[in-house]
Amino acid sequence: MIIKFKLDGKEVSVDAEPNELLLNVLRDKLGVKAPKYSCGIGECGACTVLLDGEPVLSCLTLAVDANGKEVITAAGIEEEYAALISKAFSEEGAVQCGYCSPGFAVMSYLLLREKKNLSEEKVREFLRGNLCRCTGYVNIIKAVLKASEVMGGK
Amino acid sequence: MSSLNRMNTRILPTSFNYYEPRTIDEALKLLSELSPEVRILAGGTDLIVKMKARQVEPKNIINIKRIEGLRYITEEKGKIKIGALATWRDLEKSWQISKKIPALFDAISVMGSVQVRSMATIAGNLCNASPAADSAPPLLVHGAIVKASSIRGTREIPLDKFFLSPGKTILMPDEIVVEIEIPVPPQRSSSAFLKLSRTAMDLAKASAAAYLEVEDGKVVDAKIALGAVAPRPVRSLSAEAELIGKPATEETFSLASRQVVKDISPIDDIRSTASYRKKVSPILVEDALKLAFSRIRGELG
Amino acid sequence: MLNIAERYSFIGKDIPRRDADSKVRGLLEFSTDISVPGMYYGRIVYSPHPFADIEEIDTREAESMGAVVITPKDVPSKPFNIRLVSVNEVTFKDWNILTFSPRYLGDPVAAVAAPSEELAQKAAESIKFKFRKVYDPILDAFESMGSQSAPIREKILKGEEEIPVRRNVGAELNYLEGDLEKGKREADVVIERAFKTNRRYHFQLEPKTSLCVPEHDGRFSIYTTTQTIHNTRILIGQVFGIPLSKISVKRIPIGGSFGSSIQTNLVTLISVALCMKAKKPVKISLTREEDMYDHADYEMHLKLRVGARRSGELTFGELVNIMDIGAHQVQAYPLLGTALGWFVSLYKWKNIKYEGKAVYTNKTPSCAFRGYGAPQISWAVESIMDELAEELGMDPLDLKLKNYVGLGDVFWGQGPTVRSVIRSDGVKELVEKGKQLIGWDRRKPPSMKQGRYRTGIGFGRSFHTSGAGGPISGEVIDYTGATLKLNEDGTLDYITALQDHGGGTLEAHAKIIAEELGVPPHLINIVPSDTSVTPYDVCTHASRGTYVGGEAAQIVKSKVFEAATRILPKAVNPEAFKLVYDETLEQAVVYVEGMKDMRITLSEIARTSWQRNWGTIAATVSYRATSAPPTFTVFFVEVEVDTYTGNVKPKRVVAGADLGTVINPKLAEGQLHGGFVMGWSMAYLEDTIYDRRTGELLNKGMVVDYKIPTSQDSPKLEDFKVIFANTYEPTGPYGAKGLGEAALNPVAGAVANAIYNAVGVRFYTLPITPERILEAISGGGKQ
Repeated sequence: MIIKFKLDGKEVSVDAEPNELLLNVLRDKLGVKAPKYSCGIGECGACTVLLDGEPVLSCLTLAVDANGKEVITAAGIEEEYAALISKAFSEEGAVQCGYCSPGFAVMSYLLLREKKNLSEEKVREFLRGNLCRCTGYVNIIKAVLKASEVMGGK
Repeated sequence: MSSLNRMNTRILPTSFNYYEPRTIDEALKLLSELSPEVRILAGGTDLIVKMKARQVEPKNIINIKRIEGLRYITEEKGKIKIGALATWRDLEKSWQISKKIPALFDAISVMGSVQVRSMATIAGNLCNASPAADSAPPLLVHGAIVKASSIRGTREIPLDKFFLSPGKTILMPDEIVVEIEIPVPPQRSSSAFLKLSRTAMDLAKASAAAYLEVEDGKVVDAKIALGAVAPRPVRSLSAEAELIGKPATEETFSLASRQVVKDISPIDDIRSTASYRKKVSPILVEDALKLAFSRIRGELG
Repeated sequence: MLNIAERYSFIGKDIPRRDADSKVRGLLEFSTDISVPGMYYGRIVYSPHPFADIEEIDTREAESMGAVVITPKDVPSKPFNIRLVSVNEVTFKDWNILTFSPRYLGDPVAAVAAPSEELAQKAAESIKFKFRKVYDPILDAFESMGSQSAPIREKILKGEEEIPVRRNVGAELNYLEGDLEKGKREADVVIERAFKTNRRYHFQLEPKTSLCVPEHDGRFSIYTTTQTIHNTRILIGQVFGIPLSKISVKRIPIGGSFGSSIQTNLVTLISVALCMKAKKPVKISLTREEDMYDHADYEMHLKLRVGARRSGELTFGELVNIMDIGAHQVQAYPLLGTALGWFVSLYKWKNIKYEGKAVYTNKTPSCAFRGYGAPQISWAVESIMDELAEELGMDPLDLKLKNYVGLGDVFWGQGPTVRSVIRSDGVKELVEKGKQLIGWDRRKPPSMKQGRYRTGIGFGRSFHTSGAGGPISGEVIDYTGATLKLNEDGTLDYITALQDHGGGTLEAHAKIIAEELGVPPHLINIVPSDTSVTPYDVCTHASRGTYVGGEAAQIVKSKVFEAATRILPKAVNPEAFKLVYDETLEQAVVYVEGMKDMRITLSEIARTSWQRNWGTIAATVSYRATSAPPTFTVFFVEVEVDTYTGNVKPKRVVAGADLGTVINPKLAEGQLHGGFVMGWSMAYLEDTIYDRRTGELLNKGMVVDYKIPTSQDSPKLEDFKVIFANTYEPTGPYGAKGLGEAALNPVAGAVANAIYNAVGVRFYTLPITPERILEAISGGGKQ
């Protein structure tokens, strides 16, 4: 069936079978490669996107569920936040291999938008669904806290 | 025989007929026509995984996510009502749950990730009938009732009677859970839930919920339930019997919690061992009782 | 002495990595992200039995669906080794692209390609097998060596020579040094223990992928997850008989590796075979579950016997290393040597005996995993050294500092054929600092601890080599290369085959070049490259902090000075020139000290060379490091054990590293953070467990039951301290050494020692799970 939704700010329409996953439609049919396949069963968070503002695992979401909704990937985060997150992540050394980074970016965006003055504990809790095998999370957590401070200072 | 050739977690390796009803009546009608070869899709965090692993290959899927009016948490006439499409994250944000059903709130904070909690529904968690379901012990000790509908009508099932065996509930193939109802607990009561797992985001190796009602230093009501230590989430009536009528003291909690081994039958699996589960179950129950009691005292004080 | 950041313009300063922004925004493409029009999707077909001989493979149904199918009949049959690192004579070859004799459940027996993944999946499932013989899987190394066991392999190739395999032992290495009997006689205390390590899965976030594209002129372009584009090209050339000039392997960012793509992945060869038959681009991306069947760490059964005098002086060390390598050899033989190298380079045992065997089983083949055996050896050695210290009534720190292999000692780098003398050593400094930070002196023995929650502090140390170079050409191939060219505006293009799998290798190269030539790192282009335009590089492995960029930069520098003498006519001798980054001009400047008019910017030189037809200033170098100096690391870890549930939490960590000059402090700290969490996970969580009957992974490749730590499973930020030693490695670029693996190696040992210090029980099997802890505590004894 033809489904229509807003993807990273643009209206798109695409033909998708009911058994097609949102992740694969985004990547293979719409060319948005920011969400990644990694575990395939919702354990690692690399495929995270926002669906009508809620964080979902696109590897466990049918593409048809996006019909009429809005999808935001790491490539489509509001520029103000995207720049902030990118700067904090790169300055704090929060990026190594980078395969998990888009998932972390989406979750960081959501968290920064939802809550002010983040605590370390909150950041750790919020990001526990995003696995990283390189950084040991330390610099990622520092980066999100730094971004939160910058936001708070505005 | 290896399953490697059949599994594919990158795609949904099978196809199915797909239905997207807009009303509950439409859904019930479809369900009665298509059952038993049908599965209901809500959050998808469990069903889609099972389909990728080829553990289930439904011919028909009814996606109920677009049904209006099933996503709510309300309180009326002393009951908290949770709609079938309410997600874990909805519950997490609900003051009724955090204030009145503390054991469930505990479970939410240790269940899955923010992403999973945003997708998964509490009703779905019950319907999967996993012995390790995090929502089950808290809802069991809070005396939750499951409301199930079919074209034949709606019935109320006490959660005690809901689970049969791993993956099996008492629901008929044409029935769907529409609501979960939890009685608002009285004053001087509280509850708690604890679980042991390998990491902060994991299924339970063992879990326990405790509900306590205390009056004049005496336990007037108590309920204990455990997860992942039996073929289904179970109440520990033996422990409960040792609590009711006794003084609310650490000694009582300790003695009562030792009774739980009578009501559980854990197994060895990839996550843990039977002997470990047997050893930690009383610990979890005792800790949960202490935590619930400290909450009562906190409220009274 | 000036500190590093003051001494240099770029080195020692935190400069954000150039790829961070595109990674965070999800714009950077990994192999899995690359697709081309008209591409087919490939699926690999596996044997349903882990140990069997196949009579026939029926592909008719798959073909009738329109899929392209290959079976062992369609591919070359000469065995090879997927890892080219040893010289040919000691390369053990037992691999085929597809096989009629599957020896574990992940052995590919056929493959299909189709226009969609769904169709490929259906086609793959339709393939049927007729078996000649099905054997019971052998899942235990000792059972495998027993006389009752069926031979997993009867013959393999060593180099070009066919050799028999006896009792499923694929490779062996024994070693003797000194007089063991004398060492035993001199010992006042002898301890013997048997250790078993876990078979960890790398769990790199990007599952392996390969896309093979047939070009219109007969060449093949390959986009794949690999740490070594050149070895990938060579192996494809060797296996298929394709001239190397017709193969171009692209260097694509890799979503983590930790050693899992140190070899040429079989999926790459399968994609080439499918592509050749389909005459279309074919992409195969492994699913997570296939990936988990593709590779694992080496499971080691270590028997250690060590002795010491009352004074704490070691007198001998004996190690038996039985490695369960799974169904194939990737680099079992070199690891037998390297494991010995780690053992002898930790402490001065003086008299040494080593017996190493690599044993086949019907399990996932073992390949390099960050640390290449050092995390396992270090865990065992650091555990037994603590036991020895207790027996001697010594502080383990004192015993270790007394006996460790350090400054001026001979160090084995990567095994017996790669030796050098240690010229920088910050171990004592790190131990002193770490001791203070963790509060070592307040540490109490386990007997003084009580209550439900008990804390314990443990120490572990280790090291890793920076590369596998050495003064002579041994059994290991190790050299690399690069091209550096000065562009017409004074910026630089840096072209190398070296891969960055996340650690920041190429960033470090850019900084070294920047320092050398005064060109800021952001004006140095790290050119996306492939095998066609780069000199040979063996592999980005073994934490090689290579100097190749610096080598090229020095040649470029001398050419720049030559050009400068043509522009500044008074200058007669290029050696009088200096080249630095000028902060006011924000660019590189060539000058002669004390002479005001003898100054010219690098961009002016570059422009002039171009305008006056002097030609391009560039250098291409091929470089072999003449030593592989050790990077030393120490970890102090405090844990809290819940003695009622066996749960353990890491409470505080002090991670110390002697990596010489710290080129990029933030990235270096990040390596230590990541190393700790991975090591913690090794000590406490990870293992791949097999179903004894079916040979299947119990978790079926699903990561829901392969747990690694989450953001909530490590100590608070304020409780994780990183310290660096103030050392300078004379053989390293700007005094630097590599870090990636050293950051992991001591962790499991430190954690195990901390758990012992908390509960007074030693564990000899990894992981040390709550189940094992509770069992041991309630049993009251050792486990």
